[in-house]
Amino acid sequence: MASKEQREQFKLYKEDVERRGKQFYPYAMFHDTIMSFVVVSVIAALAAVWYFTAEETAGEAGVLGPRYAEPADPATTSFVPRPDWYFYFLFYLLRIFKWPESVILGTVGIPTILMMLLFALPFLDRRRERRIVRRPVAVVVALMVIASMGILTYKGATAEEPSATSGEALLVGNDMPTDDEQVVAGADLFAKVGCLNCHAYGSQGADGPGPDVSEVGDQGKGEEYWVQWIRNPQSLKPGTSMPAFPNLTDEQLQNLAVFLEASKSGGGGG
Amino acid sequence: MPKTKSKRQQQIEAVALYPVDWLEERSGLIGGLRYFLFRKVPAETNWFHTLGSATLTAFIVQAVTGVILAMYYKPSAELNPETGKPIAYESIETITNDLTLGWLVRGMHRWGASVFIILLFLHMGRVFLFGAYKYPRELNWLVGAVLLLMAMGEGLTGYLLPWDQTSYWATVVAININANAPIAGPFLGDFLRGGQEIGSETLTRFYSLHMLVIPGGLAGLIALHLYLVVRLGITPPPWTKAAGGYEAQPNGGRPARTGLVNPSPRGNGNGGRERRES
Amino acid sequence: MADELERPGENGESQDPAAHLPAPSIWPFGFALGVALVLVALIISSWVIVAIGAILALVFGFLWIRAATREVRATPPPEPAALTADVEEEEGEEDDGEPRLSRSLFLEGATLGIGAAIGGIVTLPSVGFMVLPAFLDQEYEQIDLGPLESYPRDQWVVAKFRGTQAQPDGVARRTAYIRYNGQQDGTPSFTILSNRCVHLGCPVQPQGLTDEEAQMIETEAGGVELFKMAPSGFGCPCHGGAYDIEGNRTAGPPVRALDRYKYSIHNGRLRLDEPYSVGKVKGTGSDAQIAAYDLVDPGQHVDGPEQFFYPYVP
Repeated sequence: MASKEQREQFKLYKEDVERRGKQFYPYAMFHDTIMSFVVVSVIAALAAVWYFTAEETAGEAGVLGPRYAEPADPATTSFVPRPDWYFYFLFYLLRIFKWPESVILGTVGIPTILMMLLFALPFLDRRRERRIVRRPVAVVVALMVIASMGILTYKGATAEEPSATSGEALLVGNDMPTDDEQVVAGADLFAKVGCLNCHAYGSQGADGPGPDVSEVGDQGKGEEYWVQWIRNPQSLKPGTSMPAFPNLTDEQLQNLAVFLEASKSGGGGG
Repeated sequence: MPKTKSKRQQQIEAVALYPVDWLEERSGLIGGLRYFLFRKVPAETNWFHTLGSATLTAFIVQAVTGVILAMYYKPSAELNPETGKPIAYESIETITNDLTLGWLVRGMHRWGASVFIILLFLHMGRVFLFGAYKYPRELNWLVGAVLLLMAMGEGLTGYLLPWDQTSYWATVVAININANAPIAGPFLGDFLRGGQEIGSETLTRFYSLHMLVIPGGLAGLIALHLYLVVRLGITPPPWTKAAGGYEAQPNGGRPARTGLVNPSPRGNGNGGRERRES
Repeated sequence: MADELERPGENGESQDPAAHLPAPSIWPFGFALGVALVLVALIISSWVIVAIGAILALVFGFLWIRAATREVRATPPPEPAALTADVEEEEGEEDDGEPRLSRSLFLEGATLGIGAAIGGIVTLPSVGFMVLPAFLDQEYEQIDLGPLESYPRDQWVVAKFRGTQAQPDGVARRTAYIRYNGQQDGTPSFTILSNRCVHLGCPVQPQGLTDEEAQMIETEAGGVELFKMAPSGFGCPCHGGAYDIEGNRTAGPPVRALDRYKYSIHNGRLRLDEPYSVGKVKGTGSDAQIAAYDLVDPGQHVDGPEQFFYPYVP
């Protein structure tokens, strides 16, 4: 229950408002109206920009994304799902918990704790003090929540995805030259074999479980090494979770190796 | 300004005010509206306090555009035999590309959703910084928190309706996240899907939730939220004197002024405020 | 609460200041528990639990009604006239208060009871209709995947087919990764993996080259598309899950191995039966030892201590 002090203070507040407050209409409502006008204008403007920069074709994105994607296809083997932006923080949280034992923390644990904090706030912070500088704990906690949500949302928004489906797209997307045929063929394989599901390559691919390989050429390991590595990683590094690709032909492996050797910092890819 | 009015003016005024008086006498609604409009708010009320009403505006935009979209949208996952596309997806295509101004209504609904969520968070941040969730406004914070969850529920259910790849797979993941909850999760998942797999039942289910169930709850809770705001008053910013101790300030109010709706000067005890203590 | 249990039935002389309100009791909780038990048991179709729940609900409901009507049935205590006069204004009789009180209590009880009945009649069927169809009669259909000759030995294929006739064609499309392992004890052996990631249900992709040209097989249920492929494993592009060729998790967040389909052979044609969940697979191909479980949603553990998070799966 509220203390006597709280009740008295609220009574004082009511009296004070009555004595020297301003009328809601038109003084406060004037601001509200302008703000609402701005809101409606922004919404209409977003709609216009979204519509006029995108194409009628499905998936052709404008400044604010496509009008619609392809029709729903539960049998797809190539689509990469993404949530709406206000669930990006959750999306990235799920990427952070990359061990089976911890999945439930990302899906249920942390969201539930956040929700409970949200509901419990008025009962946790019961002091009368409202001045910001005198509520250090509350403000620091709030800033931390905002910062982490912001970072997660940002990371979720910029998280790389295996979007390139051809070698040209992969090379062009990373500002790399497309004049060497072997490099293009290798990049094509890289995109089609599914390497991007585990490895990031510049602006594309998943940032895990495998390492970022966009500057792997800097290591100077040579083409022979990469051929051997892709054919049978266990022979070079026992226990690695990289799968072996014995089905690729020698020529295909050679192309991949050339492509990887050509992936250097400075020469694009980063 | 001369206060005397000609007889003709008085007659016109009487005729114009007749419906207002008629309504007031039978419902008391005009008095309620007057109380709402002419109630006093703290003198320090500023731009930060507009976030709440801006959120309400965004909600109204969603409601209006949503109702219109519902006139054209068809929530069916069946394939159109001629084009081979799902009917729901096709109706979205038609709304966007073919119908006059359909792009604007759908665009406003789509982007209004994002703006609504952003404004909700900003409004919540303002309330937090001002400490406006403290006594006696705890309940209003709780109502607001429920509103936030319901708004995210609207986002989730609405996202599926275009029935394209993005919406389908985002919903798959979202439902599976819910299905991960201990003990109740598997039941929750099946309930949301309307079965073991996402299918046409999921689409109609989400449509009903998005169109009727959650908006109804939202509207009711918004009404409660506003009622509590009016009843408990607006929190002045914490950096003002008023927040500290409410010292008496003679002549602290603003000078009296006449306006369009409230022609009498403030402070004379009329202008609708006489009803305040009734 | 315990106090209430100590003095049952006969004691009508409650000195509660709010005497017209039913005294607090635990019976409603027992009643609610019984009803909840019935609902859960209906979902997991366990008739024993339905019976237990129904008995609980009946017994506690009876006790509740008994407790709630105790004051009506017993001789009511004399009450201050002001209270009753307040409730029953239209009644102008000059009684001594007793019959008026019981009448007001009766009206109150009847109003609340009938109100509850109205609520029940409207709510229970609606809620049941909303909830139960999602759980009952959920069965998997058998899917014809074409003649065995379409599946060369040790060749992986992506098969896209219509998974159920109960859904429109588009939504009903499913994908499975299939490999024919040759004969095992005289019967053909297949490895059939679902492409649903067991982390959160995203579409899993093969790690390796896939043919772009489909081989079409005519079936009664709308045909099957087969794409030859040479995978080294499977990967999920959503949250970075990785699986080996038998569907075991090798990296990332998946909580178990990829789901599989049961299969059978009829008239030389491969037929898919129901899908099931897999804990782990030892060995490969036709020698694989599969830890099989009933199908559960992605993200739910079937083994290890976490399985106790999901004791009942509908």
